[in-house]
Amino acid sequence: MRDDLYRIKQELADRLKTANDLPGWEALEAEYFSRTAGKFTNLIKKLKQLPEEERKIMGRLGNEVKDEMLSALSARRSFLEGARFARLAETEAIDVTAPFLPPLPMGHLHPTTHVQSDLEDLFTSMGFTILDGPELESEYYNFESVNIPADHPARDMQDTFYIKGHPHWVMRTHTSPVQVRALERYGVPIRAIVPGRCFRNEATDPRHEHTLYQLEGLVVDRQITFSHLKGILETVARYLYGEATQVRLRPKFYPFVEPGVNGEVTCFLCAGAGCRVCKETGWLEIFGAGMVHPNVLTAGGVDPREYQGFAFGLGLSRLVMLKYKIEDVRHLQTGDLRFLSQF
Amino acid sequence: MLISKNWLKDFVFLPDAFNPDELALQLSLSTVEVEKVIRQGAGLEGIVVGVIRNIEKHPQADKLWLCQVDAGDGLLPIVCGGSNLSSGMKVALGQIGARVRWHGEGDLIEIKPAVIRGIESQGMICAADEIGLGQLFPSSNEREVINLSHLKAKPGTPLSTALGLDDVVFDIDNKSLTHRSDLWGHYGIAREVAALQRKKFKALNPPPIKGGKEVSVTVSVADTKLCPRYMAVAFCGIKVAPSPEWLQRRLIAVGLRPINNIVDITNYVMLELGQPLHAFDKASLASPDGSVSIFVRRAQGGEKFVTLDNKEYELNEDAMVIASQERALGLAGIKGGAGSGVTDSTTEIVFEAATFEAANIRRTSLALSLRTDSSARFEKGLDPALPELALRRAAALLCELCPGARAISAVAEERHYTLRTEPIVVPAGFIEKKLGVHIEKKRVWDILERLGFTVEEKKGALAVSSPSWRAVKDVRIPEDVVEEVARIYGYAEIPGSLPEFTIAPPPANRLRALERRVRDILAYESGLTEVYNYSFTAPEWAEKIGLPGVHLELDNPVAKDRPLLRRSLLPGLLENVEANCHRFSRVGLFEIGRTYIAEAAGERAAPDSDELLPEQHSHAGIIYAEKNLSVPFYRVAEAIRRLGQRLGADISCQAYPSMPPGYLHPGRAAQLVAGGDIVGWVGEIHPLTAKRLGLETRTAAAEIDLAAYLAYLPERDTARYEPLGVFPAVYRDVAFVVDRRHTHRALCAAIRGFDPLVSSVELFDIYAGEGVRSGAKSLGYHIAYASPERTLTAPEVDKVHAELQKMLMAVFDAQLRT
Repeated sequence: MRDDLYRIKQELADRLKTANDLPGWEALEAEYFSRTAGKFTNLIKKLKQLPEEERKIMGRLGNEVKDEMLSALSARRSFLEGARFARLAETEAIDVTAPFLPPLPMGHLHPTTHVQSDLEDLFTSMGFTILDGPELESEYYNFESVNIPADHPARDMQDTFYIKGHPHWVMRTHTSPVQVRALERYGVPIRAIVPGRCFRNEATDPRHEHTLYQLEGLVVDRQITFSHLKGILETVARYLYGEATQVRLRPKFYPFVEPGVNGEVTCFLCAGAGCRVCKETGWLEIFGAGMVHPNVLTAGGVDPREYQGFAFGLGLSRLVMLKYKIEDVRHLQTGDLRFLSQF
Repeated sequence: MLISKNWLKDFVFLPDAFNPDELALQLSLSTVEVEKVIRQGAGLEGIVVGVIRNIEKHPQADKLWLCQVDAGDGLLPIVCGGSNLSSGMKVALGQIGARVRWHGEGDLIEIKPAVIRGIESQGMICAADEIGLGQLFPSSNEREVINLSHLKAKPGTPLSTALGLDDVVFDIDNKSLTHRSDLWGHYGIAREVAALQRKKFKALNPPPIKGGKEVSVTVSVADTKLCPRYMAVAFCGIKVAPSPEWLQRRLIAVGLRPINNIVDITNYVMLELGQPLHAFDKASLASPDGSVSIFVRRAQGGEKFVTLDNKEYELNEDAMVIASQERALGLAGIKGGAGSGVTDSTTEIVFEAATFEAANIRRTSLALSLRTDSSARFEKGLDPALPELALRRAAALLCELCPGARAISAVAEERHYTLRTEPIVVPAGFIEKKLGVHIEKKRVWDILERLGFTVEEKKGALAVSSPSWRAVKDVRIPEDVVEEVARIYGYAEIPGSLPEFTIAPPPANRLRALERRVRDILAYESGLTEVYNYSFTAPEWAEKIGLPGVHLELDNPVAKDRPLLRRSLLPGLLENVEANCHRFSRVGLFEIGRTYIAEAAGERAAPDSDELLPEQHSHAGIIYAEKNLSVPFYRVAEAIRRLGQRLGADISCQAYPSMPPGYLHPGRAAQLVAGGDIVGWVGEIHPLTAKRLGLETRTAAAEIDLAAYLAYLPERDTARYEPLGVFPAVYRDVAFVVDRRHTHRALCAAIRGFDPLVSSVELFDIYAGEGVRSGAKSLGYHIAYASPERTLTAPEVDKVHAELQKMLMAVFDAQLRT
């Protein structure tokens, strides 16, 4: 019996070496371990005929041999399966650099949306709320409420679209009317930005558009200072163009702020050395800003003796052009997929 | 506006070594924007005064001369074609290395030694245009060279020195001056420069005019609000002649053409003080007895007026004119009239200096499209104290330029203004409270006084009185004073800091948040590309589409063909498809934008008014066209379905109760419903409309009113977890043909509600066409049966499924397919 067990084990080991595919392997497995006629099964059946003492010993030995045979089978199977995968790499090879066909559509957001969302995220992280107001605005909110009375020369600077049959309606020339609407609705203190579409009645060319996007900011509280304005502008500039970016403020007249400034940042293309984009000045003008004029606070129902604050405006369309080096502002409104699918 | 450095030096000391770029930067950072710094002598390097010592004909060429030119350190042989050459003449000699523009055209060329028709030439005798001096030396023909014989300069003197072209001119952006009428002349800019450089400002103080008695000059102002001040005075002994060189040079430096001494004086004073003046020929104003009566009145409606340069204008009643008893002689504050100006034969003049209401001048100037140096200044609101100084300055210049001139009348004056004298009270600590930086009191006082303000301390507060030139519109409230201090102190000196706030989160803007999510979902889930279209539409396009409703219209559109305000995003999107479809086989776009609906109410026009602006809801529009895609409808409807599902408020398609609008395919259009309310539409463009629009590909579109949809959007995420079934589901398919009028929605609802064991229903096929009888369609559904309590047996499921099939046959007249 003992000899038979050792022999059958050796025999399987030898024959496994020549089992070169899974069907061959399966046939071998059946030949030795089939429940009805397996060679090993049959051998074990003979255990019954042995005397008690020997049956115990041989039973233990039989189990050991069985484990060894099964593990030999299993090792060979793993080997055969591995060999099959190795061939798969050749038989089922594809060009992994090719795209999926037919192509899945890929959508794109407008470049202005990208820039606007980016700034919205910055400001909401600083606790600003995002507001908007009507694009077709009343003369009152667009002009009077922001300290631009009729016949004010400032109305000269902003050529305005008027609405036929409604002489006191205009397409808003800036997002500033929302300052007053926001103060009326939310009161103070307030921290808000207003990204939105504005309109100027001017002929379009590569650098001028009658439809443009601004982002206005407004902060009003009891202790808001010019220094805070500068701090926020510096934060925005560094967020957009890197930590080394400087902000330079120059006096500029806007009726709705006092003092009023325009804000320039060191040109991010030439780092201030002077290039074509910054017209060799080293500076890019991107902000208009100032301390909110007391008349604007009053129009919003806020007492300027108790509250003060600042406002600023960014030309979103200009930021988009600078960021992506877009040479013609009119691309932004064309709907040309060749342009839009780049963003 | 151009500002001359030499002129500024009349009023403020500038050291010879000063750097004009630094001054320009200082002005830009504190006062007005200097766009350019122009150095007059620039470009004249290597060009010197030369004297022709000898001249003879070129042996090989008729029109050329061979000159020996004295360049100070020896004679140079020069070949020249000038038409006015003579021996002993002083010329502008371009030496080797100098740069000139041949015949005044093209790029600058460096002069090199040359051999011209066999003769050596060591330089060039220049014409005015060739060295950029055309304005200074107008030539009568193109072969004429500059004749400098009137100069005393020795040969070899650099030309810029010889001509006194040592000025630096600052080009200032007029737009940065709109609020500062006091800066429209050298005097005002010099005051700023003096404050910035902390130098003494030399104020002008010309002597008072000694009036005469020979002639009576009277002034009568009809509306003193429109003309708060009017001054006039007559002079005799006028000899009209060219102005002296120093004066001409200054005018030329700042871009004005000298005309004659009288006109030049008025221009000079305007450029110096910012106060426009006018000189009338007295004869044009005077009555036969020689007396002068001036009337400042409104024009009669339709009154014709011919300007000095013989252009005729028709005036409205708003315009103001300066008139004699008989006729209008000047358009107040804008331009003089024909026949009233100074001519070569003028011997007596009347100088006018006045103040006019800014808004009136601006309106008239805009109405007539007539903008002048004068109107540009008046419309900014001039200091009413200025006419007197200007008149005295003009009189002093007149006496200098025309030694025989003297006043023959008293200074006639109408004066109806009061300058604000009440000081602006700037409370203690106010400046620091606004700026967030402490500026020493001494510095504050110094800045304000240098700018002409009077400062007093009253109980700790500053009482600041504006000078007349800042009092009109400019500096009136304490915040204005803060600006004066801050800009001269320097914005760069104010450090930035961040404000401190409570950490309360800001109020949410749900519409904005919705817009942003819609963008992301449409772009990144449905593969559509975002466009921004104009708010304006062309009437022809709207008409071709057949959009209903009355459009709001621009009164003054810049694109004349697009005056309408869009009521829908569809017209723009259709244009986008039309523009892109010849390049792309698939065009899938969306836009988030406002529409303008006149008949619906929007926000208030003013807080205390009942007037409401038009409704301006934000819409989301989608459009899709793909070559060979026969039913683009489903592509768009699917994008919307997914949108609703992602956002948490389903949007479903519902057939129009009657016909859809004419521009939509009558069999492929639906209303979009959310929460039981119609929030939009989806549909294919009617083939006829598409043809009219030139669309060759089948196109589907949709539009959702986001403001309306927002009402149904849950504030919080409503997604709920359903426990996973413990017991396995059993699947059965059913396929059948039904009449077309039965909708998927109705069939699906009937199957789902048929038995509690039906746990899900999924459409896997829908088909109409060949093989299916006309008027019918074939549908196929996967149905899952499951119970939360036990494992279903096959016979049990088969029984329910058979009953379900019977129901479909009975209720929907379905024919089962096997």
